[in-house]
Amino acid sequence: MRSLIAFLVLLLLLPFAACISETDAPDGDEGTLVIYSGRRDVLVDPLVEMFRAETGLNVEVRYGTDAELLAALEEEGENSQADIFWANSAGALGAASNAGLLVALPDSILQKPEAFVPSSGLWTPVTSRFRVLAYNPQTVDVETLPASVLELPGMSDLQGRIGWTPTYSSFIDFITALRETQGEEAAATWLEGMKSLDPNAYASNTPMLEALEAGEIDVALTNHYYVARVLYGGEEGEHEDEEEEEEHEEGEGHADASLATYHFAAGDVGNLALVTGAGILSNSDQNAAAARFLTFLLSPGAQAFAAGEVHEYPVIRGTVVPTHLLQFDEAMALSPVFDFEGLRNLEGSLDLLREQGLL
Amino acid sequence: MSVAPGLRDFRWYLWGPALLVAIGVLVPLGYLVVRAFEGDASELSRLVFRARNARLLGNTLGLTAGVLVLTSVIAFPLAWLVARTDIRGKRFLTLLGVLPLAVPGYVMAYALMASTGTSGLLSAMHLPRPSGYVGAWLALSLYTSPYLFLNLRAALLGLDPSLEDAARSLGYSNREVARYVVIPHLRPAFFAGGLLIALHVLGDFGVVSLMRFETFSYAIYLQYAAAFDRVYAAWLALMLLSVTGAILILEMRLVQGRRYERTGSGAARHSQMSALGRWRIPAYGFVGLVGSAGVLLPVITVLHWLGRGTQRSHWNDLLHALIDSCSAALPAAFIAVALALPIAYLGVRKPSKRSRVAERIAYLGYATPPLAFALAFIFFTLRTAPFLYQSLGLLIIAYALHFLAEAIGPVRSALYQAPARIHEAARSLGRSPLRAFFDGTFPLLRGGLGVSMAFVFLSALKELPITFLLSPIGFRSLAMGVWGAAGESLFSVAAPYALVLMATSSIIVWLLLRDDRNRSLKPFG
Repeated sequence: MRSLIAFLVLLLLLPFAACISETDAPDGDEGTLVIYSGRRDVLVDPLVEMFRAETGLNVEVRYGTDAELLAALEEEGENSQADIFWANSAGALGAASNAGLLVALPDSILQKPEAFVPSSGLWTPVTSRFRVLAYNPQTVDVETLPASVLELPGMSDLQGRIGWTPTYSSFIDFITALRETQGEEAAATWLEGMKSLDPNAYASNTPMLEALEAGEIDVALTNHYYVARVLYGGEEGEHEDEEEEEEHEEGEGHADASLATYHFAAGDVGNLALVTGAGILSNSDQNAAAARFLTFLLSPGAQAFAAGEVHEYPVIRGTVVPTHLLQFDEAMALSPVFDFEGLRNLEGSLDLLREQGLL
Repeated sequence: MSVAPGLRDFRWYLWGPALLVAIGVLVPLGYLVVRAFEGDASELSRLVFRARNARLLGNTLGLTAGVLVLTSVIAFPLAWLVARTDIRGKRFLTLLGVLPLAVPGYVMAYALMASTGTSGLLSAMHLPRPSGYVGAWLALSLYTSPYLFLNLRAALLGLDPSLEDAARSLGYSNREVARYVVIPHLRPAFFAGGLLIALHVLGDFGVVSLMRFETFSYAIYLQYAAAFDRVYAAWLALMLLSVTGAILILEMRLVQGRRYERTGSGAARHSQMSALGRWRIPAYGFVGLVGSAGVLLPVITVLHWLGRGTQRSHWNDLLHALIDSCSAALPAAFIAVALALPIAYLGVRKPSKRSRVAERIAYLGYATPPLAFALAFIFFTLRTAPFLYQSLGLLIIAYALHFLAEAIGPVRSALYQAPARIHEAARSLGRSPLRAFFDGTFPLLRGGLGVSMAFVFLSALKELPITFLLSPIGFRSLAMGVWGAAGESLFSVAAPYALVLMATSSIIVWLLLRDDRNRSLKPFG
């Protein structure tokens, strides 16, 4: 028993040792910029490090899903220490706007992105991505895939072979776009049709693509960069190999990979363009530093990180997109044309998903 | 000397902590109820009477029942082998049976998923990739089986052999002795272990979400993490709470009047060991299967991750995660033991209705599914004590209150073994009750206190949902490191976190077993 207690005491000493070695870390909230990030840490930490090194400002990040952080912000109200809400989806930013959590951004920030700026001016887009269908070329003949995501429920030979993420923020944005472009009836019918194919529901995209590679499913509704990350690496630190990329045409992938990207016909809602974005919270007492961070996110360096490491599309002009991705204009041409402000109408999509028993 | 009941007997240092526990557990739960009734009546009835809730209930109960069956199949033969047969390497086999305690459930789930399917470690064996019910059932059973194993082992070792001798002298065969004497005597141990396992299954969120099996816990998490709907989350939490409440009551009914422990502490003879004979090979095969699934598989999976990716996590991050983990889990372990001591003392030395209530409240904290517990704390602190919100202090308090029940069992066992006469002798020498306790009884309790601390520490180290919801900004425990990186498929980054987590836990498990002199180590007395 003595050794057990000795071991526990040893572990107890660790934090104290850390305190001594870390006396230089500034304490308290004075001058600390607090970011609530709906994006995963691996996509955010490197950028925060860059910002810290560049500005010397102290930044702390709380991670969670968009919904978790929105719930936290609403619960916290006046007590919130958060300065910036950096979300994965336009829906969450729209909900934050609707709840009056965000302040209007200065024009100097809103002028930077070339597309997707909301008319409210309450948040700025940071990166964009596109919905795609990922498939296993070894088990699915690309010729048999439908021209529209709306025809997917009719693919009875895909029974039990489809993966989707009905509770994931990008998917919920897609449902909002489906309602906006096709109407409530059509959206409900689509969901019912999909359910009759007995799809596998995943909590997020990465495990879904793992499952696709492992042979659990053969097609998956996802975002373009999840496929790109599996095929071409990325924020794992592997360096992009320029020569390696040129052989691969979009939609083909590695010769031995059991994963490829499929785009529906041009203008189909299945190719929807989506954005991630950030806004400054009305509770913030760090407006200047927060604006500086947003400006940093829209700087060429940060945008290049998003393009090169995360495989998302930059929103400012002049950033180089990896060759294995469609060029931005091509991808935009595939996406349906509709008013992106409509993505604000998140509540209706949640109700629909609840009615369908998916949430 | 009997102690007269009443106010004279009220000692602040005994009842104070008990009262604190009651407030700490009940008030946030009360707040959860208040929260659930926000929103208008039609909305509420729509939320409560959803067909989905019935499905969640069915899934949750089905999973709990399945896990109870499979853990019995694993734990009972294993406990029998190490306690009652002449199998060799018992210490090692015992360690093998207990080590899954050091493997977090979500790592077990990842291990099962990573080793199967067309691209898995064992792809040559063409095992289907487990998911849904089967996946959750396997992963949960493998990692919770030690709770039952430890309880059954302790019961088998503690069984008075004279009972069996008596039965034999009456002409019963060995098989009949097992059926009519031994197995009925194992019931309390089975219920205690089974209760623990049921509570773990009900509260589990990591395994079910990875295996995509929709239980109440998973649904609560979805509501909070995806659906922007906190009222429904509160309702789901209450529904889950009523399920755990029902199971607690059921267990109480089943256990009632079934205490068969040996009375007196005279020298117990060791039970007769049966020779395995031709069963030796199958016995080793069984142990090998259980050991490779429960211990080897996760370890190999994590080592495989380590070799797979190009990126390593930084030593610095790893050290910080270990420090963060310890800075929350260790104080929580100390506080839990400090609170458990007076509650256990009241239960053993001054049993009364009130002391039983105090104990039950501690169990209620443990039985509250961690997500519901954490949600209750968020709702409560933001409204009443916002300065506590997102502080390390709150996380520590939440851990301590949630895992308190794990600390009570070992302290209580130790108290039963410490003769009350020592305390009385010290009192008669003029010591105050408190002095008498610390001079006389406390030194005898140190072993039990150490075990309590280790149990709480182990649990807090692996804990995920409470940590997620309550941790301060920038706090990053080992468990969060594993979960976050593995969720993004950055397995090479997750691996070192998982290794440090499992190594720390394994050392504690090993030390616990090594020091287990009277061979009665068990969670919950």
